[in-house]
Amino acid sequence: MPNVITANNLTLGYENDKEIIRNANFSIKKGDFVFITGPSGSGKSTLLKSFYGSLIPESGSLVVGGLDMVGINTKNLQELRTHLGIVFQDYKLINEWTVKKNVVLPLWISGYSIEVQDTQAKRLLHHVKLSGKEEKYPLELSGGEQQRVGVARALAKNPFLILADEPTGNLDEYSSNVIWDLMENACHQLETTVVVVTHRIPMVFNIPYRHFTIDENGSVYEVH
Amino acid sequence: MKFIKRHISLIFPLIAILLGLEFFIVFDRTTDSFEKGLQAGYSMMVVSKDEMSIDDFKAWDSHIEHVQELEKSKILKRLNMDKDKSKQKSFELSLPNFYSLKLDGYLTVEELESVKNNLKKSSNILSIETFHSTYQSKYELFSFIKFSFQTFIIFMTIIGFFLIVKQMEVWNFLHAQRMKVMEIFGASLFLRSKILINMALIDAVISAILTSWLFYLFKNSWVQGSQMEILKDNVDGVFKFSDVFILLFASITVVMIAVFLVVVNVKEE
Repeated sequence: MPNVITANNLTLGYENDKEIIRNANFSIKKGDFVFITGPSGSGKSTLLKSFYGSLIPESGSLVVGGLDMVGINTKNLQELRTHLGIVFQDYKLINEWTVKKNVVLPLWISGYSIEVQDTQAKRLLHHVKLSGKEEKYPLELSGGEQQRVGVARALAKNPFLILADEPTGNLDEYSSNVIWDLMENACHQLETTVVVVTHRIPMVFNIPYRHFTIDENGSVYEVH
Repeated sequence: MKFIKRHISLIFPLIAILLGLEFFIVFDRTTDSFEKGLQAGYSMMVVSKDEMSIDDFKAWDSHIEHVQELEKSKILKRLNMDKDKSKQKSFELSLPNFYSLKLDGYLTVEELESVKNNLKKSSNILSIETFHSTYQSKYELFSFIKFSFQTFIIFMTIIGFFLIVKQMEVWNFLHAQRMKVMEIFGASLFLRSKILINMALIDAVISAILTSWLFYLFKNSWVQGSQMEILKDNVDGVFKFSDVFILLFASITVVMIAVFLVVVNVKEE
């Protein structure tokens, strides 16, 4: 299987701040399901941000979907992002848009027709068990429902890579299970690569996965 | 209500700026003809020993644009001294040369004094007379009105700009989250700002139309019934159809700059 993410001596940090991730070396293949764990402040979210180009590496190299993230230009970054599915702990939904419009955002950005958007919205909302809530606004939904909208949005364009930052951090057990099921299915059935940053790996997980951890010094290890 | 409030908050400052701009244009047009009237009403008569050409006068002061020599025979005729043909010739020869001067524009009282003083330096010039009746009083009143009006326009424009800056902060608050999310999902700068651009363009068009309509009413009702000669004489200059396009262009330029500044300042978290 080809590599989807490759990091060589990857060092990450924020301006005028100490290095957060130091000399990380790893590769993630197509169809891998990867959990990244580590103590608070260890740099889990920072590492995830670098995968979608929100943070540019200080040194080393990072290749995502065949694109070198060091010095990536705006056009290529925008193109890459349209092929990613990203899920956030705080959902990052657009509150003045309906659930349906939020779900089809990646399709709208890529210029898909209204018919395709409608069909996909119906299918995805059925998958995340939110059928009938198409015309609701995010703030009319519970936290668990909002996160399911976020996952539906991430799956909308059948991305080659799903990046999730603490997707079940604030959720009840039911919503958490729905979200893990959706991600397992995406990985298992569509061979989508999934990278999840989390504090805790779920007790019951039905597909094989890889586990990376980050220690307090910012070193990334794979746990076998 | 929310929709109206959202649009009014941009339309109001835009109209303030556009009113300022249109007042400036109208004021410039109407005062231009008034200045020409003042200039025409001002004449300078010069008496010289020897004949002088336009270049001779210009050498003393560059503001002199046109010189007309007054025919001596006509002067004698006016003085009723042209009865005796033989005497007329000798009178004509003994008379100095008379010139009426026109200046290149509307000069201030100080500038006019300076022109006179420059001409007096010429030993060939015997006398300079000016005929200006109410020039100075009209000029001073006109200068005062012009200054007051321009100050008012500048003040209005500054207030308008401050209100637009305030509106930009509101936009930032209302649209930043959506634009950040869209950026994460790969939307281009244009797509991210499309909603804001559409809204701003609608407001720009509404503001330009409202301002044009206000000036159209001003021209067709208030100015027609006004006793102000300066406006009545230049009623066509108060509002021209082409002003709609000037206002539209200015309005769109202002909102596009505002939108651009908001969009480029939205940074991904």
